[in-house]
Amino acid sequence: MSDSRISSNGVVPDLAELCRIHDVSLELIRRSHDVDELLDAVLAEYEKRLKEMSADTLGGESGPLDPDEAKKLQALVMFAGQAVALKEKAAAATQLRQRAEELERLNDELERALEQEARSRRRLDDLLAAIDAGIMVVGGDGRIQNVNRAASDLTGQSTERLVGRPASPYLGEVDRGSDGKVNDSAKVMLVARRDLRSEPEAEVVLMSDVTAHERETEERHRLEKFAELLKTLGVLSHKINNPLTSLMGRAQILQMKKETDPDVCKAAEVIEDSAKRIASYIRELAFVVKEGKEEALRPLLDMDAPQPFSEVDKS
Amino acid sequence: MTVTRILVECEGVLDAHSAEMVKRDSLPLIDGESDVVIDLSNVEFIDSIGLGVLVNLYKAARLKGCNANFIGVAPNVRRVLEIIRLDQIFDVHPDLESATRALDQRR
Repeated sequence: MSDSRISSNGVVPDLAELCRIHDVSLELIRRSHDVDELLDAVLAEYEKRLKEMSADTLGGESGPLDPDEAKKLQALVMFAGQAVALKEKAAAATQLRQRAEELERLNDELERALEQEARSRRRLDDLLAAIDAGIMVVGGDGRIQNVNRAASDLTGQSTERLVGRPASPYLGEVDRGSDGKVNDSAKVMLVARRDLRSEPEAEVVLMSDVTAHERETEERHRLEKFAELLKTLGVLSHKINNPLTSLMGRAQILQMKKETDPDVCKAAEVIEDSAKRIASYIRELAFVVKEGKEEALRPLLDMDAPQPFSEVDKS
Repeated sequence: MTVTRILVECEGVLDAHSAEMVKRDSLPLIDGESDVVIDLSNVEFIDSIGLGVLVNLYKAARLKGCNANFIGVAPNVRRVLEIIRLDQIFDVHPDLESATRALDQRR
């Protein structure tokens, strides 16, 4: 079949047909927001028009068409052109709508994910605030990214002042990945540095105030050393006492002899006095050991201090 | 998941004489469970009535919630479809493989 049977300008002169086309067009335009809706209307119109047409209008032998059939064919061709154009627009509109729906769905998912992340963040903040130990998150640049309230209390700096500052002043000589102590004039802190698995460059620093514990430990060590010293003094005074007793006895014997040599008499006297002095020191030491008090030891070590035990029994 | 398709094979002449038979034999096959492929490779001639039958089959598949497309359209039949732009309304494919692929994508 050739196209020659369709007039080249495609104009349909019949008024009734023009109105019909106009009504159909309006209906198609109304449905052109959705390709499925549009297609239903288009197919229905095709059915109607093909049924109204004579069988050999399309596909028949070549040759001039009956004028009525020619009009119907022209109208169908005109309708088909509109239908195809609107179908393309409807397909585009449908695709846009589907993309908009997909975007909206993704946006909802994103909002839910953001809300979940915010909840997790709030939970983490609450946990950090509840922990007594100081926690600092330090970035790869060595600057503090997050701190909890305990860290702020330990450092004496507000969280706002700490965030963004270098962490090194608070880490002392503690190496990355290790534990250690950091001393300042007021306190002793135990610092533990650990890598963050999720961010290889960053680390988390745990801090706790061990000042009281350190002081207790130091005091205990000092008392233990003092106890050892007292024990040693006790042993020593006992060891000195025995030969000292012999020395004093021999000196007294010498003095009791009728010695005519004045040098010998003088020497015996000096020996006895010196022995008595040594015995006095030994008694003072024995008192200190017996009392077990540190303050009792101090005067013995200070050569210029008045002797607190001048009233100690010398017998 | 197994997907079934209905293949409607038309032969010879699709005109006023054969239209009713085609509709009578084909329309019951469109059950709403399977997509439809209408094979026109052996159709030698088609007229307005025959075109109306094709529109019926296409519309019936859509009404039942399925997809339909056409394959193997001979040049003279394609010419007729082109005049009234049905080649742009229908989904027309060169062969069964591309037709089934298009149906899969729409599912």
